[in-house]
Amino acid sequence: MGIVFHTVLFYLLAILACGFAVAVVLSNNIVRMAFYLVACLGAVAGLFFLAGADFVGALQLMIYVGGTLVLLIFGVMLTARGPLANIQTSRAQWAMVGLIGASLLAVLLYAATTAGKWTHSGQIVADRSHVSKPTATPIGLALLGVRADRLNAERTDAALGKGMAGYLLPFEIVSVHLVVVLIGAAYLARARRRATTPPMAATSGDSNNLDPGD
Amino acid sequence: MADFLAIWLPSWLALTLAALVHVTLILTLALTAAAAFTWAERKVAGRIQDRLGPTRVGGRFGWLQAVADGLKLVSKEDIIPRNADPLLFRTAPYVSFCASFCVYLALPFANGWVAQPLDIAVFFVLAVAGLEVLGVILGGYASGSKWSLFGAMREAAQVVSYEVPLALCAVIPVMVAGTMDLVAIGNMQAGWAWNWLIFHNPFLFITFFIYFTCAVASVNRAPFDLPEAESELVAGFLTEYSGFRWSVFFMAEYASMFAVSMLAAILFLGGWNGPLPITVWLGLAPNPATGYEPHALLAYFGNFLGMVNILIKATLGVLLMMWARWTLPRLRIDQVMTMCLKYCIPLAAVMFVGTMIYLYAFPVGLIFRSGGG
Amino acid sequence: MAVEGVDPEVAECDVRTDEILINMGPQHPSTHGVLRVVLRTDGEVVLEATPHIGYLHRCAEKIGENVSPRQWIPYTDRMDYLAGMNMNLGWSLCVEKLLKLEVPEKARHLRVIIVELNRIASHLVAAGTYGLDLGSFTPFMYAFREREKIYDLFELVCGARLTYSYITIGGAMADFPSGWLEKCEKFLNEFEPVVDELHALLTDNTIFIRRTAGIGVLPAEVAIDYGCTGPVLRGSGVAWDLRRDGDPWYTRMYEGYEFHVIAQTNGRYPVERPGHPVPKAAVLGDCWHRYYVRMLECVESMRLIRQGMEKYSRAKGGIGEPIKLMQKLPKGEVYLETEAPKGQMGFMIVSDGAAIPWRARARSSSFCNLSVLSELCRGCLIADVPAILGSLDIVLGEIDR
Repeated sequence: MGIVFHTVLFYLLAILACGFAVAVVLSNNIVRMAFYLVACLGAVAGLFFLAGADFVGALQLMIYVGGTLVLLIFGVMLTARGPLANIQTSRAQWAMVGLIGASLLAVLLYAATTAGKWTHSGQIVADRSHVSKPTATPIGLALLGVRADRLNAERTDAALGKGMAGYLLPFEIVSVHLVVVLIGAAYLARARRRATTPPMAATSGDSNNLDPGD
Repeated sequence: MADFLAIWLPSWLALTLAALVHVTLILTLALTAAAAFTWAERKVAGRIQDRLGPTRVGGRFGWLQAVADGLKLVSKEDIIPRNADPLLFRTAPYVSFCASFCVYLALPFANGWVAQPLDIAVFFVLAVAGLEVLGVILGGYASGSKWSLFGAMREAAQVVSYEVPLALCAVIPVMVAGTMDLVAIGNMQAGWAWNWLIFHNPFLFITFFIYFTCAVASVNRAPFDLPEAESELVAGFLTEYSGFRWSVFFMAEYASMFAVSMLAAILFLGGWNGPLPITVWLGLAPNPATGYEPHALLAYFGNFLGMVNILIKATLGVLLMMWARWTLPRLRIDQVMTMCLKYCIPLAAVMFVGTMIYLYAFPVGLIFRSGGG
Repeated sequence: MAVEGVDPEVAECDVRTDEILINMGPQHPSTHGVLRVVLRTDGEVVLEATPHIGYLHRCAEKIGENVSPRQWIPYTDRMDYLAGMNMNLGWSLCVEKLLKLEVPEKARHLRVIIVELNRIASHLVAAGTYGLDLGSFTPFMYAFREREKIYDLFELVCGARLTYSYITIGGAMADFPSGWLEKCEKFLNEFEPVVDELHALLTDNTIFIRRTAGIGVLPAEVAIDYGCTGPVLRGSGVAWDLRRDGDPWYTRMYEGYEFHVIAQTNGRYPVERPGHPVPKAAVLGDCWHRYYVRMLECVESMRLIRQGMEKYSRAKGGIGEPIKLMQKLPKGEVYLETEAPKGQMGFMIVSDGAAIPWRARARSSSFCNLSVLSELCRGCLIADVPAILGSLDIVLGEIDR
């Protein structure tokens, strides 16, 4: 009977995600689009939680829903002309997007139907109990180079040393990349001070001064 | 709870019932907390300002004031400005409220008393708490008013920035505890008060204050209440809101104030463990030294005491925020950002490194025993 | 967008966003009345602030041409309604000068006590609402609590709490009731520690200093050019106070009184609070100094009141008779400025020999002080606009008249 409950929730969240995804495409109003996208990504996060991947789910919430979209809406607010900017989509754009979307859907459908494990219904993936299971630890270990899922398979030290690099290298590359992006963004966005600043101290608040006397 | 019900009921019904019970409990807590804090805020403000605050509604101390306020708000006219985007304007308060309500799903009230035990509870709480800003931004933008827009812009800038030091500060106790499971972190601090993580090492002690500062900023309380700075932006993102929708935003604010205080209590102040191991003495909690396991009923009572304990700690946190609000002037937006980027983040980073070195140098603790598991 | 420092030069080269035209007021919590300020902003940086006035215009001057001078006194109450006594005094002195009417010694001291009390009340409102402008609610309550006590004292002498019409041409409407001086003394004793309380909550508060020090700096020359007076001018370091430097007809009132003109000259204030130096971040002429001048003036006014009470109880005779309601005025014109709490309040009367003046005119200090707003707000942040406006301490009833 647990299957029914799980399935109902799954379909509910899936329909929500798909519905809001379609709403994103159909809406003309850019802020509404962003809102629908939030709802869609939130529903996807719900799917992750349902599947027992709470780390990925929380990640989805934090990075996509909380971080990226807030910045997106922030950007829209700053740049949009008029209080509620509308976007008109031309027919050519519709056709192009339809083509790309359809081909992507085909690829995904193919992958989904041919993946071996998914086709025959076996055990339920997420048989959640009321006690939390360590879900983040294996991910963290893998990022540091210890593949917890392979630990049980090969327990010899040689094997541990050999094929166990995990994701340390990609992890480091990504972090260095992010640092570069951060510095670059800060460089681009910085205020370009002119060499000679006219004496406008009259209107400038000195907020650098930590200790205002006294 | 679901397992318990499943003995008699089909599992889907048991799950649904269990979920409903949890949700109802948390919702009641969030709403009661909001109502109680509205009243407390007025009383605290009154006392600080040399006046009485509410005195009449409900007899003594005006304890029914919150209900009267609520009735007034609900019965007010519902206004949507002509320039507003009606859909987003209507939705925004609920987005905020859902976010601050969802935080409680992962917050334990006592050993094992948590709606959804999560291995990554700290991460989940931070992720969801950050979503409250979405409702504020949407509301501010959808209002179609420039003051609201300014409020929303400030909110976005402020909250997104303050999430960084807040998360950094939350990571430090997590590093000491070696787990993100809030139940485990709470249990680890059982015993005497010096087992609390705030007293684990000097760096964590300082971290607590950075955390609290950033928490105040991330829930937009004075002196960081810039998104609704009434003397500058009329009421910021709340300018066009009235009646029920305004009260939903209001409840969201109080709910998240309580939530960050509770998180502080669990991460730093021993969670549901009092300063003295009274529950162990009374045989209400398991004693690791003797291997004693209390009877289920006794453990239940012990947990109840623990819940009272953590609620008191969180309430103290909220009262501290109120005290600050009624004492301090408001910072300016650039000063708020300077505070975050120039002081809070570097300080939190230093505390992070410091704690790391401390853990490496003194794996079993210097003076007191190590809280690390 | 953190715009740190608000150097407009930097703001110019910084990330630009669309300019927004935004209405601050006439219904806004911190415009101190029905003032409308149109702000042109780039993000949070104000490029231009234009004050629009006239929402409270009541044709007071025109009315003055249709009623006799004594009948006009209630209208002066409603100009600076936070300092009605000072308004009464300004007009009374002006008409008395036209009539060459001397008030008795006792009335002189009575007037000093009353107007200095009202100065404290007005400065309390200024300091309290200034805290409110900066987001600090509690000092406002403390300041208003003390102001209520002053209003209680006024209620005892004239029955009104806000619009008194108490000081009148030829003296005052009534003498102090018995026991009033003791009540006044009691108030002064209670008020002294409250000043320190306000200093602790605002003046010395780090956030308050960071919000006001170096903000809205008004150099002395600019202040003089714009005709700024009162604490706004003295906050820029110009020691100019009509109680000392004004028309003899007015300064005679303060003869025999000892008081300092509060202004920072040569880097120091005439009165200093031990242990609390001026913060390093404060620039002469900024919001902090304007606010500080008012706080110190409260203490000076207390000194004046104490002297006044002593002189009053020693003075012999009555407090003078008000002139007749429709007394004929001599032909001629008189312009007299007095030091009201907000600045120099000038009254002018032109008479053609009838009982009703040919022209009655009021020169508002707040009007000139407000005119400097756009100068001060250029390049500041939106949050600084209430800070600057509050430090100018305007009252719209006087600007619009």
